[in-house]
Amino acid sequence: MKKQIENILRESTIKTFEDICFIYQVPELKDDQKKLTLEAAAEVKFRGNYTGKLMIETRGGLFSAIAANMLSNEVPSIQQKKDALGEVANIICGNVVPSLGRSEPEYKIESPTCLNTDDVLKEYKKLKPLAEVSLNFNQGRADIKLFVNNYSVTKEK
Amino acid sequence: MALNTLVVDDSSVMRSIIIKTLKLSGLPLGEIWEAKNGEEGLRVLQDKWIDLALVDIHMPVMDGEEMLTRLRENNQYENLPVIVVSSESEPSKIEKMLKLGATFIHKPFTPEILKDVIIAVTGVSNEETD
Repeated sequence: MKKQIENILRESTIKTFEDICFIYQVPELKDDQKKLTLEAAAEVKFRGNYTGKLMIETRGGLFSAIAANMLSNEVPSIQQKKDALGEVANIICGNVVPSLGRSEPEYKIESPTCLNTDDVLKEYKKLKPLAEVSLNFNQGRADIKLFVNNYSVTKEK
Repeated sequence: MALNTLVVDDSSVMRSIIIKTLKLSGLPLGEIWEAKNGEEGLRVLQDKWIDLALVDIHMPVMDGEEMLTRLRENNQYENLPVIVVSSESEPSKIEKMLKLGATFIHKPFTPEILKDVIIAVTGVSNEETD
């Protein structure tokens, strides 16, 4: 089940980047790309049958590239970059949460928020994601993590 | 026929994407109006002539379902083409919107899908898009 959720997380992320951001995945992370500094992060919380959150982190210039492509603006403002990253997180979350397994899922997705990178580095280190993917693009790298509270396969039908 | 279009979404980025897609589509567009929730959207509809509405579901103040329900209660808008653009995946929620006479596009979407659906729901002919 966890593998299935991870596959859906990966596919949703790839499709969102392609269709909305016109940003396409390239093969495997190179060693130097694995060490890129965190530049921005956004989270989307959800509640319902399960509660949790989805977080997206960007590195290597992807933060600017997302907004630039979505808005066709070569120099997006910081607010535009935050809004664009939040919207990407929102779309991915909306596509992934139904896969958590309840036969009739009921959930509410909250508005996305951009996170302080220092908080991300401190707080999220303590949490273990249910699923996570890292994707590499020419414009940088994205790491997406899905955290679900009290998730248990045995609760599912 | 120029389409006066209303775009309703709480995300300014998503509104920009939809509007950009509309402008690049080659469709005959009139005025494009924006609203950030269902309540604002209904106010625009009261004041402006709208031929097509693109509406998100999950919005604060008034969501897309409530907006569409109120819209259809008014005879003036019973046939207004409405396209719901949302990342919603739950079948029962989507079904509710379809029963309210909307067409559904799932986020993420490609510009081609948006254009094709607009042509299908508005009856804009292909000749007009050439």
